[in-house]
Amino acid sequence: MIGYIVKRLLLAVPTLWAVLTIVFVLARVLPGDPAQTILGDQATQEALVAMRHRLGTDKPIAEQYADFLANAVRGRWGDSLVTGKPVLEEVGKVLPYSIDLTVSAIVLGALIGVPLGTWSALHRNAAFDYIARLGSLLGLSFPAFVSAIMLLLAFAIELRWFPVIGAGGSGPWERLRAITLPTVNLGIIMAAYVTRVTRSSMLEVLGEDYIRTARAKGVPSRVILWRHALRNALIPVVTVVGLYLGILIGNSVLTEIVFNRSGLGKLIVSALDQRDYTVLQGMMVVYAFAIVLVNLLTDLTYGFIDPRIKRQ
Amino acid sequence: MSAATEAPLLELDGLVTEFRTGGAWHAALRGVSFALARNETLALVGESGCGKSVTALSIMGLLPPANSRIAAGRIRFAGRDLVGLSEEAMRKLRGNEISMIFQEPMTSLNPVLTVGFQVAESLRYHRGMEGQAARRAALELLDQVKIPAAAQRFDDYPHQFSGGMRQRVMIAMALACRPKLLLADEPTTALDVTIQAQVLALLAELKSAYGMAMIFITHNLGVVASIADRVAVMYAGAIVETAAVDELFARPTHPYTEALLRTIPRVDEDSAGLAAIPGQVPPLSAMPPGCRFAPRCALREAECEATDPALAPLPAAADHRVRCRVRAPATAAPRHA
Repeated sequence: MIGYIVKRLLLAVPTLWAVLTIVFVLARVLPGDPAQTILGDQATQEALVAMRHRLGTDKPIAEQYADFLANAVRGRWGDSLVTGKPVLEEVGKVLPYSIDLTVSAIVLGALIGVPLGTWSALHRNAAFDYIARLGSLLGLSFPAFVSAIMLLLAFAIELRWFPVIGAGGSGPWERLRAITLPTVNLGIIMAAYVTRVTRSSMLEVLGEDYIRTARAKGVPSRVILWRHALRNALIPVVTVVGLYLGILIGNSVLTEIVFNRSGLGKLIVSALDQRDYTVLQGMMVVYAFAIVLVNLLTDLTYGFIDPRIKRQ
Repeated sequence: MSAATEAPLLELDGLVTEFRTGGAWHAALRGVSFALARNETLALVGESGCGKSVTALSIMGLLPPANSRIAAGRIRFAGRDLVGLSEEAMRKLRGNEISMIFQEPMTSLNPVLTVGFQVAESLRYHRGMEGQAARRAALELLDQVKIPAAAQRFDDYPHQFSGGMRQRVMIAMALACRPKLLLADEPTTALDVTIQAQVLALLAELKSAYGMAMIFITHNLGVVASIADRVAVMYAGAIVETAAVDELFARPTHPYTEALLRTIPRVDEDSAGLAAIPGQVPPLSAMPPGCRFAPRCALREAECEATDPALAPLPAAADHRVRCRVRAPATAAPRHA
């Protein structure tokens, strides 16, 4: 298992290298001089030269590339052009909020989606199945920012159960209250995906020969469902959860804006807004790294669920 | 069956199993009747789609409830009628008193559970065995089905086993609770010929060791002679001929049985090619009104296409019964339309 993890991590290295290279190239092909952007239109020639020297953009491109890679590896991603603080610090400040929201949305989505999909598969074409399928279709087609606003109107403004904006204070209770609505917003969309995949995967597994074997052995149907069928049905679900992270990044941008919650999504939007190139560069690497990490976790989960994958 | 003889272990009486296709119910079994004594082996023989597996699954109560039903008839097992028994009562029988092994060893084991666990499962749910006791008993079973180094392989997964070894695991699972009846649905069809012989020998050995009755489903008449006491040839959802195994091979009477026997390639005769039965089993939804075999039968008479004959004993041997109005003219009217 450890060998497998190491192998997978080594495979992630070329991916990350490719991402860094693309980020480097993108930053260089973009029109405009970073030094000019930082100093503004009125900057003197001397100041520009000094700034270029400070940024390293006066060096030959090969040298810049080598410096960029070396700095990236050492965690020196430059300073924000807006706040002047190191990019890593800026990202580190909001990352916990994003992780909180992402993890809780995934957990909520799985907690709703897996049982709902399983139940739906068991009662195929019964009334419940139709309701669940309709509900998940609704969840899939509903824009995240609309549902966010509806949740806010209902539970934060009308009922006043949850705060309207922010990520909560220092206490765990406050943080939990603040994260509830954003989590529900993202989790419901997630649940819609998971329900659909679980249902179809479960239907397929329930028709497998080994399920008939288990029934022929006299295994109680509850055990057949949870021990024999669900584990086999989970592989496509894990795949979808992994892929969903990409969608979650998009949806969390909107969710963070509507709920005025700090997080990666809000950071990247403000960086875009203010043309903060160094922060954008850093964020691209962070997102790429997150996707690589999620893929690794997904693969490890496969190995955990299916012994055939672990051995390969 | 007279009062003097022992009651049969299993008795099917006019079993009609139907499937729903395209909104209408069609009979896949149309009045299957036979009796099986303790320790007896009955071979169910016939082409694909003739109802062999449906018969076994009906006995096990494993037909999908959404699109199948037992429309008529009784399945009496050890004094109880299994038709209409609750699912929980059937569950307690399955794997305990009646076991079944399947054709496809490659897909019949759960890929994410260890072999040992899957064998121990029957013991857990029927004998209440847990932990080490279940493990020991399951290990003993794996030894009995001659899995080499069973102790080391106990925690392996099915994909680490070959087809023949997986079928041995299936047998171990089926025999875990020493069932009275084993339903073997083409257990050797998917295996190599050499492995087939080994698995057959193992089944025969365990059957006599455990004192089980067995229904052995196959389309391979060659296998039948070596393992069965009695044979029932099925065609289009009905038994068309049944006899003791020697009697059937000596005097195949139904034209379908004859044709089946001719399809066995022989090494001691020169022949231009393999014999085949022309035509195919009619689909459930388009059964001919008279004798189901008539459209493919060389002996067909006009009357064959109008009335379905009953299973009638031959004058020479009462235990040899044939459903053919040409070969075994019956006095009785057909019992099941």
